[in-house]
Amino acid sequence: MMNWNLYSRGDKFFAIVVSVLIGMFTVATLYPFIYIAAVSFSSGFAAQAGKVVLTPIDATLEAYGYIIKDPQFWISYRNTFIYTIGGTLMSLAFIIPGAYALSRRQLKGRRFLNLFVAFTMWFNAGLIPFFLNMRDLNLLDSMFGIILAFAVNAFNIILLRNFFEAIPQSFEEAARMDGANDFQVLWKVFIPLSKPAIATITLFCIVSRWNGFFWAMVLLQSEEKIPLQVFLRHTIANLSDNDEFAIVQTDAAFSAETVTAAIIVCSIIPVLIVYPFIQKYFEKGILLGGVKE
Amino acid sequence: MSGVNLSGIVKAYGAVEVVHGINLDVAEKEFVVLVGPSGCGKSTTLRMIAGLEEITAGNLMIDGRRMNRIAPKDRDVAMVFQNYALYPHLNVADNMAFGLRIRKMPKAEIATTIADVAEILGLTNYLERRPADLSGGQRQRVAMGRAIVRHPKVFLFDEPLSNLDAKLRTQMRAEIKRLHNRLGVTSIYVTHDQVEAMTLADRIVVMNDGAIEQVGTPMELFNHPANTFVAGFLGSPPMNQMKGVLTEHGAKIGDTEIKFDGFANGQAGRDVIVGIRPEHVTLAAGEQTSALPIELDLVEPLGSEALLHARFGNDNVVFKADTKGDIQHLSGVGEVYVPAPLIKLFDAETGHALNAKG
Repeated sequence: MMNWNLYSRGDKFFAIVVSVLIGMFTVATLYPFIYIAAVSFSSGFAAQAGKVVLTPIDATLEAYGYIIKDPQFWISYRNTFIYTIGGTLMSLAFIIPGAYALSRRQLKGRRFLNLFVAFTMWFNAGLIPFFLNMRDLNLLDSMFGIILAFAVNAFNIILLRNFFEAIPQSFEEAARMDGANDFQVLWKVFIPLSKPAIATITLFCIVSRWNGFFWAMVLLQSEEKIPLQVFLRHTIANLSDNDEFAIVQTDAAFSAETVTAAIIVCSIIPVLIVYPFIQKYFEKGILLGGVKE
Repeated sequence: MSGVNLSGIVKAYGAVEVVHGINLDVAEKEFVVLVGPSGCGKSTTLRMIAGLEEITAGNLMIDGRRMNRIAPKDRDVAMVFQNYALYPHLNVADNMAFGLRIRKMPKAEIATTIADVAEILGLTNYLERRPADLSGGQRQRVAMGRAIVRHPKVFLFDEPLSNLDAKLRTQMRAEIKRLHNRLGVTSIYVTHDQVEAMTLADRIVVMNDGAIEQVGTPMELFNHPANTFVAGFLGSPPMNQMKGVLTEHGAKIGDTEIKFDGFANGQAGRDVIVGIRPEHVTLAAGEQTSALPIELDLVEPLGSEALLHARFGNDNVVFKADTKGDIQHLSGVGEVYVPAPLIKLFDAETGHALNAKG
């Protein structure tokens, strides 16, 4: 317990304001989760009528029943896994060696190359040129195209580069004296010593890949290649535009809203499962980025 | 022959030259210590031998082979770093095995090699520990173990004891010496600590400002320093150096004449620096001694001996005297005596010894 007597009035006031702000922030962050989960387990009628506030009304699993029967749901779920795992591995394969090379003093033109990488954080080609580029590379409507296109991320490279730079030079020198080549120095010394930083960028990659929506929507046409987020978009569009569905299903145990909510819940579950395991690295990673940048 | 030969070694960073043409031969099995103040180029020289710094000019030969453009891993040298540079994510055994695994030594052979070296260094019970769980002395031993397991032609030590406390440093110093006697591997050792240099070295190389001042055995350098820099660097406290003028029978410092027949050689009037080691004076007159009148300022007892801080003419001087178990008798000292053969003379302008071998 805190001993309040040790604090001045100003400190106490500050503590109260901070607690209230954090409380409000917590509610603002948590409530949408709870609301969506509650809607997904409610009856279509209750959801339509706006009765759901905090807990499911007329609890039912009908909305989940509806989506798990849709084969497209499973196809897009699988695709999201492929994009997330493949994309993250591809990203790490580019980011780790890239960051290592940029962190080495002996790299010729290092300053220019670092500037070159950082430049892409503020300036990029924009939607149309990027789209045309992908088209000319024959990567439209291609699963590999999605994995490859966003593999390199300047922010992650800089984050990891800074971490590598902070590792004492003598480790590299000792490894070289021990007979290691560049690749072995990276693989056997730098990567094991950089676990927190690598876990952080892995998480960044996973989250951005998992939630990746816009470019997948722009670049992919075939239904069998779309990820979950695009499938969700299609479902929302289909259900809301389909007046017949809305009217006919009014009395049914599910509606457009509950189905949408159920898909969202399904898409969040894997992130919720993974997050606690890497949370400590995630926090460290944010701190390290903050200190170094 | 696993000797190391440096000829005309130069290191420059851009236009700034930090090592100016070093020539040095280190014989097989020899233990050579590079010593000098911070920034004298000793570590840079060692790193050039290791291959961690490029050599700007000159030739480096190890075992008769030119090494200038050979990668560190192919030079067959091992290095012990000042901060040990033990891999924090590996335990002691894996740290020592690191280089052997990279060189694809068979597993069974690695295990026996590590067991043997751990035995020599008293690390057998610590093989499973991570560096963070070891004391400074143990880490130091692991760092040496990592170098020893590879059976290199040359050991390089870069101030390996400077992170240890005084007691441990003395202990580890003796261990390094014993190890060298046992393994007989050519060793080059860098330190700024003259005691380490004196105790460990077969030969000492005194460096200053990127150049070698003098090379020789510890006693040669102590007894016959080539110049005022070496005289002032080796010995604790360092040699007292006083400005003087040569006379017919010796030298005059201020109003005091010190007699040492035969050294002056008819050069009376020449400006010199007179060097007297603190331990070379006595409190009683003897044969061939000259008296130095001093004003005693402070007596520092060290146990069996004491340091006498005093003024002699315009100079501050420090002398050593036996305490004989008590410092009372030292408080009234007004004169010390210096034997003529032990006096050193240096040219006042160049600082070079005038009676280097005398």
